[in-house]
Amino acid sequence: MSTQTLLRLMVLAVSALIMSCSGNNEAGGGALSGDAASRVYVAPGEKDEFYNFVSGGFSGQLAVYGLPSGRLFRVIPVFSVDPEKGWGYTEETKPMLMTSHGFVPWDDAHHPDMSQTGGVADGKWVFINGNNTPRIARIDLTDFRTKEIIEIPNAAGNHSSPFSTENSEYVVAGTRFSVPIPQEDVSIQQYSEKFKGALSFVKVDPKSGNMNLDFQLLVPGFDYDLARAGKGPSKDWMFMSCYNSEQANTMKEINASQNDKDFIVAINWKKCAELAAAGKGSMMNVDYAHNVYNDETHSASHTMKKQVRVLTADDIKGALFYMPTPKSPHGCDVDPSGELIVGGGKLATVIPVMSFSKMLKAIEGGKVDKMIAGIPVLNYKECLAGEVQRPGLGPLHTEFDGKGFAYTSFFVSSEIVKWSLKDFKVVDRVPTYYSIGHLCIPGGNSTKPWGKYVIAYNKITKDRYLPTGPELTQSAQLFDISGDKMKLLLDFPTIGEPHYAVACPADMIMKNSKKMYQITENKHPYATHKEADTRVERKGNEVHVYMTSIRSHFAPDNIEGVKVGDKVYWHVTNLEQDWDVPHGFAVIGANNSEALIMPGETCTIVWEPKKAGVYPFYCSDFCSALHQEMQGYVRVSNGGSGQLTWNKR
Amino acid sequence: MKYFMLLFTALWLVACSGNNGESAENKSFMEAQQPKKTYGKIQHVDIGEGIDGTMSKAGKEIFDMKCNACHKYDERYVGPALGKVTQRRTPEYVMNMILDTETMIENDDTVKCLMQEFLMKMPNQSVDEKDARNVLEHLRDHAKSAQ
Repeated sequence: MSTQTLLRLMVLAVSALIMSCSGNNEAGGGALSGDAASRVYVAPGEKDEFYNFVSGGFSGQLAVYGLPSGRLFRVIPVFSVDPEKGWGYTEETKPMLMTSHGFVPWDDAHHPDMSQTGGVADGKWVFINGNNTPRIARIDLTDFRTKEIIEIPNAAGNHSSPFSTENSEYVVAGTRFSVPIPQEDVSIQQYSEKFKGALSFVKVDPKSGNMNLDFQLLVPGFDYDLARAGKGPSKDWMFMSCYNSEQANTMKEINASQNDKDFIVAINWKKCAELAAAGKGSMMNVDYAHNVYNDETHSASHTMKKQVRVLTADDIKGALFYMPTPKSPHGCDVDPSGELIVGGGKLATVIPVMSFSKMLKAIEGGKVDKMIAGIPVLNYKECLAGEVQRPGLGPLHTEFDGKGFAYTSFFVSSEIVKWSLKDFKVVDRVPTYYSIGHLCIPGGNSTKPWGKYVIAYNKITKDRYLPTGPELTQSAQLFDISGDKMKLLLDFPTIGEPHYAVACPADMIMKNSKKMYQITENKHPYATHKEADTRVERKGNEVHVYMTSIRSHFAPDNIEGVKVGDKVYWHVTNLEQDWDVPHGFAVIGANNSEALIMPGETCTIVWEPKKAGVYPFYCSDFCSALHQEMQGYVRVSNGGSGQLTWNKR
Repeated sequence: MKYFMLLFTALWLVACSGNNGESAENKSFMEAQQPKKTYGKIQHVDIGEGIDGTMSKAGKEIFDMKCNACHKYDERYVGPALGKVTQRRTPEYVMNMILDTETMIENDDTVKCLMQEFLMKMPNQSVDEKDARNVLEHLRDHAKSAQ
């Protein structure tokens, strides 16, 4: 036998082995069924069936796609500056990115979660976490803008966040990195004694959506990873996975993988909230930013807050438990009935399914194995509904189709596994290309899944797309789950890293989508409501230009009297009152960005000219046949009286 | 070439006189073909004998905010001068131009001719019916006091 033949045989044998392990490969490779293209084809001018809000990961933003087409409609700037939209550059939006560390222009956004009413996605807001500088943002789905960002004190790595309770009473923020609380200059070797975890509960106003850091639970210094609120019978509870129960502080990939089981934390948030409201625990001095965007002034405000209520295990006896779960869990997902809690142990060989009712019985019956820092550790078997045996390698995250099935992503074996909630038996599996992280079924985290598709969010694409140098696109894959077998329909590229995503029927959001801002309701302090009021004012070395834009001219468009050393504030109000007619404003040498001004809105860009001369400004967003004519000049002088003149209208 | 043909056809379809009737004295060719069809959602406007001062005042507020950036009273600007517009256009035309701009641009021959002259599609400024009626009253008021 030649070497070549031997090699061929070996390859064949290995692939046969892989085939036998992964069972069904029907949808793999490129072996698509013929109608896949028509299933995702949305004809020109027609609209998608679902909105899909996908985290931008290390881009810090939130991307909006349509399903089933996989078309990208918009990137909503959240935690990172975006010069295209002026986000973080205009005077109005700069306060949104302020933190206790000053202005932070970037973050790592992982998990979008939609607001819910009665356990069902309601299309009002999307919440998303900033992992690096711990924050939660709220995005308003009437105009797809970030309206609020709250920093989380005592946290570091806001990963277990911002998962919402059944009526969005709270969103949660569990810390991935435990730190000394309060922060202090100590040896890292003192991890187990000094480092703590903070689990924060942020209250959401049901009408305005405004967030308020209500209380924090101080817990042992593990790594708190993901969470999901209960629903139905378990609606008062929040479940949160955690790993590193070893409390390792170095080489965690080995040292935090020692224990056979880590934990799902079960928190009766309702009871904790009542105890907090009754004054339990204590107030701790902290510093955290709370930034709110005001729709009437089109401007954000930044406030530093100074205190948070902190509760320890002793303050909330009977409301905080650890449920053991195998091993280094990631996902922690509650089925639509609210009875089953599915763990996703990254290193586990089974998928553990915990029972809420059994957990309550275990609590009642005192089935406690031990105590950790005053927190009862319940007996695993007493809480267990069952285990999915030999499901695959590296289970991560589970969602539900509302038809009695769960879909779990497997990072290591790169597949989605469908299993039955009745008998915990695997019924189907399908490979993903490659290395899936989270997955998403529209409404698949809620009491009412629209179980038509499951979308895989993959970490690696390798050979799936045209190469673009060392850095390749990451991607999502859309699978049809309307039948017994999952069918791959579409690959589509994503921005940054797609961690988690949420999806809901399009009409839920479309019907509320804003077309413009009413100019009559614009209360921006520097708004110009009519062209007759346009003017230029000097306050010392500040020059304030009260400018308007309408197809296709600025008023004023000739300005003289600006001096080198002046700080020019271009307050541009877009007088248009029609849909899809933003104007841009750009001026030569600006050290920030353009302003992109929506109809009825006012935006401010600061410009500090450094040399005398005459400089143009223009509209940077094509607006009409005479868009190229939408331009003007500002004259900058060395010295002079600084007396401002402009063409009056 | 194809594009040119299309343009040519469009020009042929809408035969416009050199002056599109933007002075009250010169009636355009198309306007001579009265009575015209009324396009847009306003098919009839009740006009009082005199001028309602309150309405006119309210209308001026809206005019200044939503129209004046492009329309002056006595000079041709981005759009036609509107100081005497009520003398050359029907109340329905004025109302529909404000409220149902897109329909007027697509259908009304006078507006099509104006498009050729000004090359700028008038934006819909999302004025509600009450405010549009007030703007009309203001323009009537202006035309009257200008006489």
